Amino acid sequence: MQATVSEDLELIGRTCREFADRELVEGREERDRYPFGPPFERTLEKAFEVGLFSIMLPEEAGGSPDPVGTLCVILDEICRVDASLGGIVFTVALAQELIHQAGEPKAIKERTSSGGGCEQLLTAFPSFTDRCEIERSTALRAVGANGDHRLEGLAEYVVLGGMARRALLPARIDGGDGWSLFMVDAGGDAVRAGKPVLSLGMHACPAVDLELAGAPGRLIGEAGRGAGYLEAAADRLFVAIGAMASGVMKGSFDTAFDYAKERVQGGREIVGWSEVKMLLADMALKVKLADMLVGEAARAVDRGAGGWTLASRAAGVCVPEMARDVTSNGVQLLGGNGFMKDYGQEKRFRDARQLQTLLGSSAMNRLAYIEKVVGGEPAC
Amino acid sequence: MFDRSDNGVMAREPRFEEIMCGLLQSGKVPRAMVSETREAVALARRFSDEVVRPHSLELDRRMQEDPTYIPWDFARDANRWGFYTMWLPRFLGGKGMSLPTMGPFFEELCACDSTLGLLTAGQYFGFSILLASWNLRIIQRIVRDVIEGERTGEPCILAGAVTEPQAGTDVEEMELLSRAKVNCHARKVKGGYLVNGTKIFISLAQMATWTMLIAYEDLHRPEETVVMLAVKKGTKGFSLGRMENKMGQKACPVGELIFEDCFIPDEDVCYSSEQVRHLRRGPKESAMQLIDFVVSNTRPGVGAAATGVARGAYEQALRFACETEVDGKLLVNHEWAQCLLAEMYKNVALARMTYMEGTYVNGLYGITRLLSIKPVYYLDKVIPESTPRWIAGLLDSDSATRWTRKFLLDGQTDEQIARTSGWASLSKFAASDLALDTCEKAIELMGHAGTRHEYRVEKHLRDIKVMQIFEGTNQLNRLNLFKCMIARSTQEALIFSD
Ligand SMILES: Cc1cc2nc3c(=O)[nH]c(=O)nc-3n(C[C@H](O)[C@H](O)[C@H](O)COP(=O)(O)OP(=O)(O)OC[C@H]3O[C@@H](n4cnc5c(N)ncnc54)[C@H](O)[C@@H]3O)c2cc1C
Repeated sequence: MQATVSEDLELIGRTCREFADRELVEGREERDRYPFGPPFERTLEKAFEVGLFSIMLPEEAGGSPDPVGTLCVILDEICRVDASLGGIVFTVALAQELIHQAGEPKAIKERTSSGGGCEQLLTAFPSFTDRCEIERSTALRAVGANGDHRLEGLAEYVVLGGMARRALLPARIDGGDGWSLFMVDAGGDAVRAGKPVLSLGMHACPAVDLELAGAPGRLIGEAGRGAGYLEAAADRLFVAIGAMASGVMKGSFDTAFDYAKERVQGGREIVGWSEVKMLLADMALKVKLADMLVGEAARAVDRGAGGWTLASRAAGVCVPEMARDVTSNGVQLLGGNGFMKDYGQEKRFRDARQLQTLLGSSAMNRLAYIEKVVGGEPAC
Repeated sequence: MFDRSDNGVMAREPRFEEIMCGLLQSGKVPRAMVSETREAVALARRFSDEVVRPHSLELDRRMQEDPTYIPWDFARDANRWGFYTMWLPRFLGGKGMSLPTMGPFFEELCACDSTLGLLTAGQYFGFSILLASWNLRIIQRIVRDVIEGERTGEPCILAGAVTEPQAGTDVEEMELLSRAKVNCHARKVKGGYLVNGTKIFISLAQMATWTMLIAYEDLHRPEETVVMLAVKKGTKGFSLGRMENKMGQKACPVGELIFEDCFIPDEDVCYSSEQVRHLRRGPKESAMQLIDFVVSNTRPGVGAAATGVARGAYEQALRFACETEVDGKLLVNHEWAQCLLAEMYKNVALARMTYMEGTYVNGLYGITRLLSIKPVYYLDKVIPESTPRWIAGLLDSDSATRWTRKFLLDGQTDEQIARTSGWASLSKFAASDLALDTCEKAIELMGHAGTRHEYRVEKHLRDIKVMQIFEGTNQLNRLNLFKCMIARSTQEALIFSD
């Protein structure tokens, strides 16, 4: 648990850990077989029941007073066990945050007031995409005007695309500047979902490519302002990617540490070999750093403290990089067993790298960071 | 000018003989080796284009769906192309491609798909274990089976079984083996050995016709009582246990071997301390020499495979950078991307240098020394592929094995063993680390596209991780490098004495 969290958050964290231990440990490998095994659906209902999909909603609609801190604590605990559910929670939160940034309380209210279940809150979004991808010429086009838009083209890697009823999709309005956000009925006739994407990690966080052929889309926020909304939402939620990575690292460390205390080679528990200790130390140090970084950054975001945007982005870029190294050692310390499905370490290795590509590649996110500094935000 | 008085300074570390291996070997390499290597690379490229690339992703996908599937079709293709006999010497009836060409061949295949690379060349991991016994009679017999498998179209695959449930790192090093909890017991009985125990993580277990099994006559003194047995599929008392479900290398099956009162006749005993009693080293040192002989060959092999993986990831990243626009211009024209690609290229080049150096060291001091001597090299090229009878008869005799062992094993100095083993470890851990880093860089550059199955990079990443683990973990290999290259000139140094 993050060192600096408040009592309230600590309580949420504990509840969430219990939820994760109860609902996510068993069947993790089976779920990870997706798309060759069944999807997450039952667990999603339970996650909905404990409120995992309403964290970023306005307070009056069941959201949290310090939403980013809450989201981070939750993601950290969930990803310790299974990052796939984390990916889903993150995507839903990101879509909610985008709608919020776009100043569309109506869009949120619609979904919360009708009292529906989990499905009401799930919104598909290409949460691994960055600004440049959206701006590419191959991205979606929106034809029409005055609230009557039809979307055409391919939206790649839409998380929850084959599952959620609606999708929030970025598209360029023909003839207009910039790009805009549209809400699309994902089950509509003009939307064709491709096969589930087979990816490196987070298998049970399903993604598909959506092909749109004149699908009606409702403009969210103002036309041409999508980039601004995404930028603002990303500023706030980058830290949440750090929280997910932090959880994955903890899971990896705990498993490796337990194994090193049990496994005997050379006549002693391997934890006794100083080179093994070095690997564990590297992992433990990064786990601690990540925890502090995420806790501090999340608080800064919720309080709107000076420099919070860079704090959030730094955590979102650097913690997944730490997770990349930690999970590699996490496999290594289990030797051949680390490479097998039995201990969850290989899954964490894959998930950590998948996480690194949320909201864009790590290279692009590094560049985006320094652009902010070049643009005048104080680096230190 | 070098004069005699320089001998003193040249005896200092680092030894010229150790840091200039490529240069020292260059004068000795037969000219034909260059064209042979070119031929091996061309062959690998053709095989990649025609067989590997068209099937590799589909097969990997299929394996994710059904991890128990055994890719016999692919093995039959590799067999049909002649790869299972390609590097067996002509005087034994193989095609006689020189062993040093194997690294570049392997790199080439692994640049496309290292799992199918291992399925093609993994055969020679088993063969290296067999070869290190220098038991010419059994080598000849098993090689004949492999050749027959090629003729009939039913591949005869070799596997090597060393790792045990309680002893992985421990079986790679004699100092550790003496403290290990091994379970694979070979009890001497009349006419052979009776084997009991299990082996785990054995590559190609489900496909192998012959398995080279390392067992121990005395489980309390394993380091003194190593035996190597050739176990044929279907032998009574030998069965397969669980098949592993792995992160990567999915199409290359790995499994458990179970031995229950399994009788192996004397004629299938490749090596025992009894057999090498006439050599100058004691049983423990001889067993370590055997292991070093094997790993000096197989670890640069892992280096070559890792180089291939790194190259595959780099090539995909480059292609992506050439197709993808960022801020109105192609990614490949952004300076940062150019530097990242240069780093990846560097990783590939460095990894390649290590396995090539490992190969030269083996030619100078190790497993390929005999075949690198020019007259022997050319002789093996002109011998007809079907072994002349008199050669076969000669190799069948006990004295041929005796004298070959005496010449090759006693003829190798401790320094030479250390050099080959040290360089092999260096190549293995350096190349696998560089390759993992290259795959990570590809993902950094490509973002989520790099994680999609169809771009292959994520597969390279899943496949590469095990190269830091098998053939001794990279930690064990660093310690072996320390032992072989550093400790001998550092009197204070003790190994595995934490
Ligand atoms: C896909 C695959 C294929 C394989 N194929 C084969 C095969 O064909 N034949 C075969 O015989 N084996 C094979 N192996 C086994 C492989 O060689 C072993 O997994 C490897 O040697 C490590 O042993 P282990 O798994 O028991 O790990 P352990 O030895 O238990 O190691 C666990 C951790 O402890 C560390 N450690 C252990 N001892 C020390 C020490 N003294 N000092 C510092 N660190 C230490 C290790 O570095 C590692 O990080 C294969 C393995 C895999 C995964």
